[in-house]
Amino acid sequence: MHIVVLAKVVPDYEVPAGDFELTNSRAHARYKRMMGLYDENAIESGVQLKEKYSSSLTIVSYGIKGDIQILRKAVAMGGEKLSLVVGNSDDPHIIAANLKMAIDKLEDVDLVLAGQQSADMDRGIVHGMLAEMLGFTFIPQVAKIEQDGDQWKVIQNTESGSSELKCGGKAVLSITSVPENVPRIPVVRSIFAAKKKPVDTLSEIEGDAMLIDEVLVNIPKMESVCEFLPAEDDMAETAKILLSKLREERLI
Amino acid sequence: MGRIPYWNINLGILIDAFAVPMIVIFVYGMYGHWKRIRQGKVRINPDLSKSAGKIGPVYIYALLTKGILGTRIYKKIYTGVAHGGLFWGMVILLLGTILVFLNVLFGLPVFRGGFNRWFMSFALDLAGIAVICGILFFLFRRLVFPPERLTEPKARTGFSPIVLLLGVVILTGFVVEGGRIACNGIDNGSFIGNYLSMMFGKTDAWLTVHRYMWWIHGLLALGFLAYIPYSPLVHLVLVPVNAALADPMPGTKMGLIDFSSFEDEESEEMPVLGAATLADFSQKRLLDYSTCLWCGRCHEVCPAAQTGKPLSPKGVIITLAESLQDGHVEDDSLIDSLTSEALFCCTTCAACMEACPALINQPKTIMKFRQNLVMERSEIPEMMGKANSSLELRGHPFFGTGAGPRDWCKDLNVPVFEEGKTEYLLWIGCSVTYEERAQQIAGSMVKILSHAGTSFGILEDFRCTGDPAKQMGNEFLFAELAQQNIEDFSDMGIKKIITMCPHCYNSFTRHYPKLGGNYQVIPHSLFLKSLLKAGRLRLNRESKTICYHDPCYLGRRNAIYDEPRDVVNSMGKLVEMARNRNESFCCGGGGGNYWAEEVGTRINQVRAKEALDTGADFIATSCPFCLLMLTDGAKKFTEDQKIFDIAELVALQLEER
Repeated sequence: MHIVVLAKVVPDYEVPAGDFELTNSRAHARYKRMMGLYDENAIESGVQLKEKYSSSLTIVSYGIKGDIQILRKAVAMGGEKLSLVVGNSDDPHIIAANLKMAIDKLEDVDLVLAGQQSADMDRGIVHGMLAEMLGFTFIPQVAKIEQDGDQWKVIQNTESGSSELKCGGKAVLSITSVPENVPRIPVVRSIFAAKKKPVDTLSEIEGDAMLIDEVLVNIPKMESVCEFLPAEDDMAETAKILLSKLREERLI
Repeated sequence: MGRIPYWNINLGILIDAFAVPMIVIFVYGMYGHWKRIRQGKVRINPDLSKSAGKIGPVYIYALLTKGILGTRIYKKIYTGVAHGGLFWGMVILLLGTILVFLNVLFGLPVFRGGFNRWFMSFALDLAGIAVICGILFFLFRRLVFPPERLTEPKARTGFSPIVLLLGVVILTGFVVEGGRIACNGIDNGSFIGNYLSMMFGKTDAWLTVHRYMWWIHGLLALGFLAYIPYSPLVHLVLVPVNAALADPMPGTKMGLIDFSSFEDEESEEMPVLGAATLADFSQKRLLDYSTCLWCGRCHEVCPAAQTGKPLSPKGVIITLAESLQDGHVEDDSLIDSLTSEALFCCTTCAACMEACPALINQPKTIMKFRQNLVMERSEIPEMMGKANSSLELRGHPFFGTGAGPRDWCKDLNVPVFEEGKTEYLLWIGCSVTYEERAQQIAGSMVKILSHAGTSFGILEDFRCTGDPAKQMGNEFLFAELAQQNIEDFSDMGIKKIITMCPHCYNSFTRHYPKLGGNYQVIPHSLFLKSLLKAGRLRLNRESKTICYHDPCYLGRRNAIYDEPRDVVNSMGKLVEMARNRNESFCCGGGGGNYWAEEVGTRINQVRAKEALDTGADFIATSCPFCLLMLTDGAKKFTEDQKIFDIAELVALQLEER
């Protein structure tokens, strides 16, 4: 079995709102670049499957050459090789087309895992498009994967709970964050080994861009207003006031 | 009449012949200990540097004070006195016996005049009584009312037989003396012998009793000595050796790991990172485990053990001691039996080391296991793992912070360090940068240094010293961060650093020099003291009381106790908690446990309660992690803000010029 995990390098997703700055409608270059938050969960899920079913695991990414150093962490976590399509488009359709090209080159891919959404755009649509292009089944927000005969048994987490699903054939699964797939810290010998593992850099192909133009990107200014409720006299009354205020603001 | 050696004994000289097999059995027993200890690695970096009071690897001062005089024993006064009576009584009795042998062999005149009366008679009787009292105290204590520290997590067996044997040796010695005096007349000074002889009167039976008791006493004494290496009393030999070889510099020093062999693909054998088996430890560590008496003083002072967490430093050492005794040196299930949950509970506060009368380095053992868990097995508690990842990605461990790196100084005019122009680098540190409460320490220091006219500056970009990674066991990440900092410092010509966090201070002074980073590093408490002493700061002294909490990394690890207290005394009246200075209790944040989800009672609440119970108006500390932990802990008991860093208090009390 051959598993592919898609990983994207993004600007630091934890930069506090008050400190965030844009250049050309994108995060300022001064922010550190790192692997996407959910992508690390996907890598961990992939590594666990690899260890459980003795599979092979390839990391595939679309980005700039400078990302290779950061993507080596994914290899250190358990990937066997890295395939990077060099490009800088933000268009999800183009990204999906390029990822498909990289996966097609690998030929024998059975399962594609990806973080449920990137940490920079937060769109969560590339893997769906990719599944369509590959002709694979697509299941979003997957928390757990098991092989069940020639099928995949997956647990999908939704807002209202979870569903257990089965699918046969090849699939693209978007991975959500659960305690079971907290990313591991790569062990030291894997960090050194990852430096020597093969990296395929592929030139990007021209894909069909979506018919969308980005006109403006805006970051809302965060404002906070603090209101103190009297708590000394009657706690029950204070709780009622708090509840009504939260309802007024539609926070609950 | 004077004493006649071997009086009433036929062929008494044979006792010397019996001593030979006793010595063989004793030496064989000690050889067994050495055989087990030598299975450890030799020290990676044996520090044989010459320093005052050190000969080769032996620290003479520690050997004499802690190894032989056993100074740490007396921290518990009753146990200390009982131990002193037992040990020194035995030493005096052994000396008396040697003198008797010298008298027999060489005619040394020890049975004459005042020496006979005051030493050979009175002192030896007194020593015997001291030993008996010590034995009774310890038997009563171990068997009748054992304190928790002796029984948790496990009590040591094997004391009673040898201690009882010793008691019989002493009692038969008294009977022998009584018989001799009963037959030969009063011996001035032998108050026990005289009493026994008078009690039973002079009868012919004494001759027989004396003769048999003399042989029983002599043979049992030899048997007792031969039994020592096979009993817990082997600590008589091992503790002085362990003390002599223990680095007296307080705290844990983890040394350096050479990662270069990992670069070499052809390398057949890669070093084990940390320790997974007993064989991965140094001989000194294995000596630690053999020496441990299971007295539980470490258990009693351990913040984790005392707040219901799964770690007991005593338990760790016992497990290792038993494993070593059973010959399981290559057993790699050791970590699993200790559990990673327990190993990550250690706050590395070094209270166990400070309390240990046998000078065992418990935190180093725990840290070695942690290193293995993190760097070889990728096992780390989730929150610590996130802090590690943040350190790796962003250069600081405060994941999910709402603060940007410049937030703390946005309303301040803070100079940036300029090479050749600025004297001191004010090292801000990660917690002070990213935690809102701790940011006020930096603001206060900037105000103070500006007020005092100090030439200082901060870095434009900075990263953590790497200390949290090191404490959590990720030595590799620590080395990477430290090397980057050292390169930056070197490029900027930084020579003098003021730190606000004792963890940063500890890293800069203990670990950076080994990586090539040598600086003059001054903790802010010392710098404040020097500014006050030089008259560059004047404070409005108030009648308020201030309680000072000793941070483990400033106090126990670096022996800085007085300077912060002097600063506190210059602002108000210092009050002390019951546990203070080197016996201080941890805030709970050390060892990466700032990022832990605690089980059991929260350590910071225990310490905050101790501080609040003093009734002091303010509680001062000089570590941002202590400030954050105690502030959080105090919320359970009060809504008043009582916890401050000493820099905050100094800034409040600054007298305008």
